[in-house]
Amino acid sequence: MRPLGEANHYETLEISEDASLEEVDKAYRVLREAYETESLALYSVFSDGDASVMRDNIEEAYRVLSSFALRAEYDAGRVGTNKKETPFDRDPMASEETQGSHLAPLGSAPSRDQEIEEPEDGRWDGAALRRARDHVGLELEDIAEITKVGIRILRQIEEDAFEELPATVYVRGFVTSYARTVGIDPGRVVSTYIQRLEESRSDQGRSGFLGRR
Amino acid sequence: MRGIQPAFASANQNAPVPLAAVGPRLIAIGGGKGGVGKTFVTTNVALTLARMGHRVVAVDADLDGANLHTCLGVPSPEVSLADFVAGRMSEPEKLLVQTREPNLQIIAGTHSNLNQPQPGQTRRVELLRGLRRLAADFVLIDLGAGSQPAALDYFLVADEGLLVMRPEPTSVENAYSFLRAAFYRRLRLAARGHGVRELVDQAMDQRNERGIRTPYDLMREIEAVDPVEGRRFIQTMRAFSPRVVVNEARTAADIKLGFAVVSVCEKFFGFKADYLGYVNYQDEARESVAARKPLCDYMAESEAATYLSRISNKLAEGRVNESTRSGMPR
Repeated sequence: MRPLGEANHYETLEISEDASLEEVDKAYRVLREAYETESLALYSVFSDGDASVMRDNIEEAYRVLSSFALRAEYDAGRVGTNKKETPFDRDPMASEETQGSHLAPLGSAPSRDQEIEEPEDGRWDGAALRRARDHVGLELEDIAEITKVGIRILRQIEEDAFEELPATVYVRGFVTSYARTVGIDPGRVVSTYIQRLEESRSDQGRSGFLGRR
Repeated sequence: MRGIQPAFASANQNAPVPLAAVGPRLIAIGGGKGGVGKTFVTTNVALTLARMGHRVVAVDADLDGANLHTCLGVPSPEVSLADFVAGRMSEPEKLLVQTREPNLQIIAGTHSNLNQPQPGQTRRVELLRGLRRLAADFVLIDLGAGSQPAALDYFLVADEGLLVMRPEPTSVENAYSFLRAAFYRRLRLAARGHGVRELVDQAMDQRNERGIRTPYDLMREIEAVDPVEGRRFIQTMRAFSPRVVVNEARTAADIKLGFAVVSVCEKFFGFKADYLGYVNYQDEARESVAARKPLCDYMAESEAATYLSRISNKLAEGRVNESTRSGMPR
């Protein structure tokens, strides 16, 4: 129970600290509509200014809590603030083979100054996504577990196996989830990845292949 | 979102639950605005609960505009709550009037004293005590429009407070006014220290000079004055949990209004409300009023009647939980 602007991200999204990604998504969808500009529920209670602050808080809370890496970082920063242990406290890097490696210690995530490496031409492909995933120490199985996207599809995304991937509209959703999970802004990734996919498919189309759209 | 689901559990019709000596469960139905469907919800839920095998009493506390009896097809009753308010009758059980439904009785709100329809505070306390002694499983209190002290007290004292609203700005605005008034009244009644009570009084004036705008602001002021009282107030706030009903929903956005209102209650007022359910708009609802029958009787197969049944089921589940949790009269 905190005044506007003082609530933590979990309080903002009205979820528990062990909420699953699915619960985070659901809460966000409900609240985004609840606090949209014309929302009837705000009438006579929230001023335009307050509502705008709420919207910003909700967006920021979702940006952080929907990303595995950002959420872990956020949780780590809240240690000692009465937070309960969440599934996100378990560091995926704590597997035996990574013990004592160069990777970050248990419970931490790459900090903001350890930026994920962007592709030189700004165009994301499967290899760049994989590097980003390695950077945060996630296995493909972890991504599958969090996003509920099948591991086969995730592998095809990383291998740029455009002809095997399903219709573009689905791939867009999968890549968005993937990017969020590894802590990259989907806005930076999805458009360039999809562009590659479409270029590849149209090339195939010219050579007689009936690409799926 | 704390499991708020307007998609209701499966119906548990025809399964009367043995309700031990826990006294009736008091359910107050308010909403601030007139015409949003408080009486409509009250009569239909009352009938549904009665048909599930529960003993139900519906009380018309809307002494300025009583018509609950009409909606249940009871001709203008001889005795009413007005007799209790005027002191002509002191036992609520003597005000009971049988409806056509075997398990359903009413206390009508007719024949009120136009000069002073609402009971004073002492009389209100006596009434609530009397209602708790009734040989019933559920007592539903239809509060009528407005936020007068009597309506607020019934809402606060009841085991469940239902807030009925329609998806329109005037209804939403009045529902918030009602909640705000009820909430501050609760805080004021809980306040022990004079200084704290003064702060609550100031907060109730929305143009107060201290700039107390929300319950959060008030809580900070109280904590500064008296930290112990501040902690106790937080407990008081948590215990306030109105249940939202959206009536006459026509669109998906109307249905979602309930979720949004619950969120506003938490973020702005600081208490946890619950979305009990919605009732879709249906022309037959108006026809049922003209026919002086609850919709669940007039057109039991209609979609709106189904939603009303689901709301009733949820309330009945609460009653069962209560009876298993506590064997003591409340």
